[in-house]
Amino acid sequence: MTQQLHPGNAGDLGWCIIMAAIVRLSSVCRRGITPLFYQSTLLARPLVVPHKHQEQPHLLTARIHSSQALHAGSGSKAASLHWTAERALSIMLLAMGPVAYFSPGPVMDYSLAAALTLHGHWGIGQVITDYVHGEPKVKLAKAGLFLLSTVTFAGLCYFNYNDVGICKAVALLWSK
Amino acid sequence: MALLLRTLARQGVCLSKPQYSIFYRHAVPMGTTAKDEMNKFWDKNARLNRPMSPHLTIYKWSVPMMMSITHRGTGVGLSGAISAFAVAALVLPGSYPYYLDLIHSLSVGPYLIGLAKFGIAFPVSYHTYNGIRHLCWDIGKGFKIPEVYRTGYTVIALSVVTSIALAML
Repeated sequence: MTQQLHPGNAGDLGWCIIMAAIVRLSSVCRRGITPLFYQSTLLARPLVVPHKHQEQPHLLTARIHSSQALHAGSGSKAASLHWTAERALSIMLLAMGPVAYFSPGPVMDYSLAAALTLHGHWGIGQVITDYVHGEPKVKLAKAGLFLLSTVTFAGLCYFNYNDVGICKAVALLWSK
Repeated sequence: MALLLRTLARQGVCLSKPQYSIFYRHAVPMGTTAKDEMNKFWDKNARLNRPMSPHLTIYKWSVPMMMSITHRGTGVGLSGAISAFAVAALVLPGSYPYYLDLIHSLSVGPYLIGLAKFGIAFPVSYHTYNGIRHLCWDIGKGFKIPEVYRTGYTVIALSVVTSIALAML
């Protein structure tokens, strides 16, 4: 069964285009790392059978999840790309802290606004996936989240444009 | 680099599951995704109106469990605070320095300000340090149980120290 492209994935795809350069760079590492976690049942060589099982007359079969590498085209890579993009964004956000401290200004203000909002949006998205079940409830929760993230980004940009900006705001708050 | 990681990790994976007795050529790939299966699980159990088994109330709490939910809690809390700030920026008429002076004028002393700074600094520090720990897990490092506890305690210690240092600035 292929994963259909639905509104959630389309939105993520938009962000993935923005992250295309990072994803390309990380794809070399990604192919080497993410297949690990589900290839444990798909070793290329026969497994060693413990002694106590050698007497079994019939062969055991296992139903396993196939890796994307073996069944090319039978599944969408959206989830995998999303995972990588989440980690790439987290690393970028880590770097932004010190950079904002040493070079405050509008570039960092807007970059922080975007990175913080997106990191929060994807993070709450994972919380929804974990705790909200049933298609209508998930759709409602995701719609609410999208609205919240849009308003958050709008508000932060408004603050950056019409007020002191994020970097200066933190500096002022700490100077009290 | 990826080849090295893949080789090292595959060795680790092979050695960790010696009790497998499944023959590879009889492994059958499934036609459904994990997402489909989860949906099927929830649809069926909701339709049959089944109650959920006790889990949080009966399982023994551990430091890694508490750190994990704290990571989620600080994340959601920080996200909420940022959203609240953004909405306030859109709705409130005055400027940021105006409101900062307003808050400053009614504060009851340096200890409350220090406490407030700690209250902001701690969730940020904890979420950041534990986030780095998560990223280490994502590249496959630090999964052994003693390592999980060691890195966990390090994150807690670093968070407390950093927050106190920031609160005293």
